[in-house]
Amino acid sequence: MRRHPTRSSDRRRDLIQKFAALAGLVALTIVFSIVSQSFFSVTNALTVALQTTSIAYLGIGATCVIITGGIDLSVGAILALAGVIAALAVKAGAPVGVGMFAGVLVGVACGGVNGLCVTLLKLPPFIATLGMMLLARGVALQITDAKAVGGLGESFAELGNGSLFRVVRVGSDGFPDVPFPGIPYPVLVMVVLAIAVAVLLGRTTLGRHIYAVGSNREAARLSGVNVPVVTLFTYVLSGALAGLTGCVLASRLVTAQPSEGVMYELDAIAAAVIGGTSLTGGVGTISGTVIGAFVIGILRNGLNMGGVSAFIQQIFIGLVILLTVWIDQMRHRR
Amino acid sequence: MTSEVLRLDGISKRFLTVVALEDVSFDLRRGEVHAVCGENGAGKSTLMNVISGQVQPDGGRMAYKGSAARFGSAREAQAAGIAMIHQELNLVPHLTVAENIYLAREPRIGCFIDRPRLRADARRVLARLRVDIDPDAMVGALSVASRQMVEIAKALSLDAEVLIMDEPTSSLTQSETEHLFTVIHELKRAGVGVVYISHRLEEMPCIVDRVTVLRDGRRVSTQDLTAITVDELVEQMVGRALENKFPPRTSTPTDEVLLSAHGLARRGAFEDIHFEVRRGEILGFAGLLGAGRTEVARAIFGADPLDRGTVRLGGRELRIRSPRHAIRHGIAYLSEDRKAHGLAIDMALAPNVTMANLAAVAGRLGFIRFDEEELVASRYVDALDIRTPTARQVVRLLSGGNQQKVVIAKWLFRDSRVLFFDEPTRGIDVGAKYAIHRLLDELAARGIGVVLISSELPEILGMTDRVAVFCRGRLAAVLETRGTSQEAIMRHASGRGVKH
Repeated sequence: MRRHPTRSSDRRRDLIQKFAALAGLVALTIVFSIVSQSFFSVTNALTVALQTTSIAYLGIGATCVIITGGIDLSVGAILALAGVIAALAVKAGAPVGVGMFAGVLVGVACGGVNGLCVTLLKLPPFIATLGMMLLARGVALQITDAKAVGGLGESFAELGNGSLFRVVRVGSDGFPDVPFPGIPYPVLVMVVLAIAVAVLLGRTTLGRHIYAVGSNREAARLSGVNVPVVTLFTYVLSGALAGLTGCVLASRLVTAQPSEGVMYELDAIAAAVIGGTSLTGGVGTISGTVIGAFVIGILRNGLNMGGVSAFIQQIFIGLVILLTVWIDQMRHRR
Repeated sequence: MTSEVLRLDGISKRFLTVVALEDVSFDLRRGEVHAVCGENGAGKSTLMNVISGQVQPDGGRMAYKGSAARFGSAREAQAAGIAMIHQELNLVPHLTVAENIYLAREPRIGCFIDRPRLRADARRVLARLRVDIDPDAMVGALSVASRQMVEIAKALSLDAEVLIMDEPTSSLTQSETEHLFTVIHELKRAGVGVVYISHRLEEMPCIVDRVTVLRDGRRVSTQDLTAITVDELVEQMVGRALENKFPPRTSTPTDEVLLSAHGLARRGAFEDIHFEVRRGEILGFAGLLGAGRTEVARAIFGADPLDRGTVRLGGRELRIRSPRHAIRHGIAYLSEDRKAHGLAIDMALAPNVTMANLAAVAGRLGFIRFDEEELVASRYVDALDIRTPTARQVVRLLSGGNQQKVVIAKWLFRDSRVLFFDEPTRGIDVGAKYAIHRLLDELAARGIGVVLISSELPEILGMTDRVAVFCRGRLAAVLETRGTSQEAIMRHASGRGVKH
């Protein structure tokens, strides 16, 4: 009986923590729904979800890294390299599944190098991942001669463009009619990933150790937490998710671009920060980050539909970041 | 014209629902040292923050130099001549001593810093304190004691007429403390009024003129120190008579060696260290600051590397590479700096308690069983009498004594064979201190080897069975506590063969 109230008060605090971002999300939805008739529809909701997936994947990885007190600037470049590797593997005759797995592995390897630079060489995370950002981008551009890799076949497009529960009827005029476009695979992957990593962070010893390392590295070390391994894990996870993002993006376009994903790392960090993750470490949740990713996604989508230019969109997103983090600071100062 | 420099009348302050100060009056004369005593949470810090302008009182009046005063910020108070020296010193480590003393008030020629004058001014202020500190030295490279002198010099350079010192001796050695007292005497002679906060009641007769006791946000008494004994003072602080300062020892030492160290050495820290920890005993580590006590404990625990020597646990030789490794073998170390090394201060109490033994409350696949974790935490909350609303309270919001108990709970939950306690009662109030001392004895009685590192000699004498005295990185002597005295320990600790 004693447990119950503390649990629910925990949950309440958690909710309040996300309040700023959540309120922003709701407000954006309402405003865009009023402004544009086609915004509030199932089809557009799925479009927004699909557009948000990249930020969400990367944001989930970024959240784990940032909770340990680190930062990962290399994910945009890693995703380009991973996409290119997957595409080249498929071009060389590998089955699509194997090619994409190779892409994810490239992400794991890059993340591993990041993690080793941080833990073994004791480089500041900012520098280690900045180096990887240039390195991965350079390799991606070099092996493709800076040209897009296309002609990948239909099965390569399945992951990015396919969907579950798609309903197609052939209308009386002979043209297909789509009453429900189905849930895109990337969205399903996002849901699964978010739940899995949220459980990892919130319920497992590894997750607890991630928070402990970010909250007080030395206390964690002196308590017997394997700080290097825990830190390494977060970078590997972030790299793996970047690799996956690269494969999904390449699949969506059925083309791998070596210049894909420029500045995506900043979107990922922004999503985490809007969702309440603290750059000083120790604080952050996946649910917050997903909300943060959707704030950015909806903002882009809604402004796009309203015909606002990409430049103005950037200004808006910048303001949103400043606003949400300021509200967060106010709450902490109280 | 009275000698009174500061007067507070009926000061009250609430934080939300918590009463921090209730109708507290206080006055300070020129050239006196006025001590403020009380347990943690009695309102000392709030009172000091009111005087130094960091906190605005809800009610009451304050008069400074005969006229009503109200300071809106620490800056205003400082400009008026009230300076505060915090327990956590507020200096910039990457600037020099002179730059720190005149930070934001640098003498200038146009828009350039007048370096020669800066240096000369700093040298003059330091000379007034009769300390030998190079004005060009980096503050980060100085000892705690020297940094404190820099803080005092900074206050002096501000022409402070009121100086508030919060626990100034808590991290000083005996000789450094004595030097600080001479400096305080100098300040008194110069007419500065000093408000002095300290848990170390024994040292008060050396410098304190009057003492005010606070309890639960109220003033209990103000009187001349000569009119009151230490026991009476403690009684007023805790609100009841305390028969003994130290609990009776119930454990009996045996000859069974739990842990032994042979020829331990680490370059620049210590060398040639031999000692044994026996089942059922409390072994003291005494010595001056920097004598190598903490360093030896940290090296045995694997927190720092060891250059030479062997450690045996239960007769088996151990090669300890990391704290993780040491913990697995049943060696635990409670750091002297609980905030920096002991606690994840922004995490809740329960996760802090289970941090060193999380697997014990987790199922297969590493899923934490939260019910069990909370149960464990509440068990220790009860057993150690940790004052907290729930086991989910954030550790930052607990008082120092309760935070220390959380660290202790962490290591009790980890069932260790040998426990190193590094200054476990530093900065902790009398009641919590007694509880921790009783716990040390209980642990020893349960057959755990306890090592108590302490700079407080009465604590060493009151709690240990044997005491290893360190001096400049070497073991000067291992003494039976029963047959020794503070003087004997000090003599070994300072490396003097003969008593002077």
